[in-house]
Amino acid sequence: MALYQRAPYETANRQDLVEDESDREEEALVEDYKEQVHFDDGMSELDRTASFGGAAAGGGPQDMQAQLAAAATPLEYGAALDTKFASYDNYCNLFHYILNSEGPVDLEVPTYYWAWDVIDEFIYQFESFCRYRNRIARTESTSEEAQLLRDNPNTWGCYSVLNVLYSLIQRSQINEQLDAMKRNEDPNQVAGEYGNRPLYRMLGYFSIIGLLRVHCLLGDFSLALKTLDDIELNKKAMFARVMAAHFTTYYYVGFSYMMMRRYADAIRMFSHILVYVSRTKNFQKNAQYDSVSKKNDQMYGLIAICVAFNPTKLDDTIHTALREKYGDQLVRLQRGGPEALPLFEDLFRSACPKFISPTPPDFDTPDLNVDPVDHHCKIFMEEVKNTMWSPTVKSYLKLYTTMDLKKLAGFLDVEPEKLRSWLLVNKQRSRQVRWSEGALLDGEVVNGSDLDYAMQDDLIHISEAKVGRRLVDWYLRNLARTY
Amino acid sequence: MGIAFDSAPDRPEHIEAILNGLDRYNPETTTIFQDYVTQQCEDRTYDCYANLALLKLYQFNPHLTRDEPVTNILVKALTLARLNARLERCAYRDFWDLLDSDDLYADLVADVNGFEELMRVRIAVTVGQGCRAVERPVAEGWLNLRGQDFEAFVREICGWGVDDGGGGGGGRVVVPVNKENEAKGTVVREEVRFEQFGRVVRRAYEQPA
Repeated sequence: MALYQRAPYETANRQDLVEDESDREEEALVEDYKEQVHFDDGMSELDRTASFGGAAAGGGPQDMQAQLAAAATPLEYGAALDTKFASYDNYCNLFHYILNSEGPVDLEVPTYYWAWDVIDEFIYQFESFCRYRNRIARTESTSEEAQLLRDNPNTWGCYSVLNVLYSLIQRSQINEQLDAMKRNEDPNQVAGEYGNRPLYRMLGYFSIIGLLRVHCLLGDFSLALKTLDDIELNKKAMFARVMAAHFTTYYYVGFSYMMMRRYADAIRMFSHILVYVSRTKNFQKNAQYDSVSKKNDQMYGLIAICVAFNPTKLDDTIHTALREKYGDQLVRLQRGGPEALPLFEDLFRSACPKFISPTPPDFDTPDLNVDPVDHHCKIFMEEVKNTMWSPTVKSYLKLYTTMDLKKLAGFLDVEPEKLRSWLLVNKQRSRQVRWSEGALLDGEVVNGSDLDYAMQDDLIHISEAKVGRRLVDWYLRNLARTY
Repeated sequence: MGIAFDSAPDRPEHIEAILNGLDRYNPETTTIFQDYVTQQCEDRTYDCYANLALLKLYQFNPHLTRDEPVTNILVKALTLARLNARLERCAYRDFWDLLDSDDLYADLVADVNGFEELMRVRIAVTVGQGCRAVERPVAEGWLNLRGQDFEAFVREICGWGVDDGGGGGGGRVVVPVNKENEAKGTVVREEVRFEQFGRVVRRAYEQPA
């Protein structure tokens, strides 16, 4: 297990970080996944016997089984509004039964993944319902459907969804359990009569990840990350057992970091999971992989954005894939300037989560309803515009150890006052909070750039952080050849 | 530096309790949060995490929204869009010009005790990180202070020196060297850990093939 424990990163040496992680974890990852696939096979056999047993026992359990299966199954594409309403009612009934029966309920869940699937599908339907409602309000606010939506403002309401997730977390005492595990104590001591059961524990656990996702969809990125306070992101984590959960967690954590301008942390998240996927894709034989593949592309888009903001040496696998996917675009993103703006916007739109608004739209004044994706895209683009000159300024600064501000302003063809502002902006942005240990929101402010400078009146003093020669890797690799 | 966003040293216990429970979504706590915002404005403290919780209550319950706390929170967090855009761009002179251009802005920031001074301190922090010396007219523009007020702020609040330039030019402000503005070149050296040699060591104990 020591293989999985992450080395402390306090050296803030990025190259080191990426290579180490991939090297040490490579074999472990693959082994772990093989085990998972195997494990899955074992489980599905068990399930089959279980459901035979259920059928023999009569109608009741079978109905329940059908309901459980339905809760984890996606709705048909373009399902009618009635179906969406009905599905909401089904979820309400099911969660009500699980949460508010007298004492914990005994349920035979259809698959090992059921708890994840049901939370995932529940949030997905919530998300798509909100977006659908918003679109109807903007484009066909007088239609029959609009009227129906207007009459049922609480269906798929934000409060109900959060209520379900928070209640599942509380019932299962999952945060207390995780906290105990962190302190190497027995989680069962604090689990309570609900949390001791796998059903509640799993639902509670995946509700935390669901909450991460919902907060992120609502644009509250810091609260999203705070939600994961009790979960340690490593291979021992429970989510790592379910590929889709593993993947989802890293996507939303990475995205939240990116929106908080903690690019180094975002890159670390995306790199980790993309390496994992690329190393395990040969074992991916089930349908899960399809959903993973789209998010995979999105994360490559996001990592391209982050690298443009915060030049970083990436893991070789990712670097190669990124060049194959984006090639020329990547160069343009990194060059910055006004030409890069549409590229940033396109990439962001294709890779961001589908943001939602928590309240029903205003059906009377369709124009007031802004698409939440547009809103977040606008905020993001402000930051892109704000820093778009940084690459150009940096490329000049790299050539000198001292430079006159007015002279540089002349090269760049801008007012000295403006250049002074750019330099201050760039200086501020080079200081980023970076995680080293503890909760996801923790971190130290470090200089993430290899270039640093200070202004003395109109004289800019420039310094560079040089990376010394790296010999150990080379030495070890050659040594290995002689075995 | 590096203080978690959800911590606030002066946060009262009853607020802490609400934030850690499900009551943070309870519309009835709105007034408690509102009072807390007013208090922050008066005594120049700031609790981002609690204010976000109030904004979320407003977001979920639009009918409860009141302009005044919202404005105050936004002023506190510097997210009044147009002012913020100028601060983000480090276009400080533009920032002050815009603030002074319309009484509307004066009204918006009126509730926040010491707004201008808080802004100046924030700007000074950024300037202190990026500069070792600044020509006096430039610094005056950034801080929107002139003459004695300027000198007093720079010397007493920032702890910087003012050099009058021997009476010739406009003089300059001298910022003492700190970790951020020294811009010293470094060489990142390779760090070698024993674990990297794990395979080699293991190999040494294995039988020769």
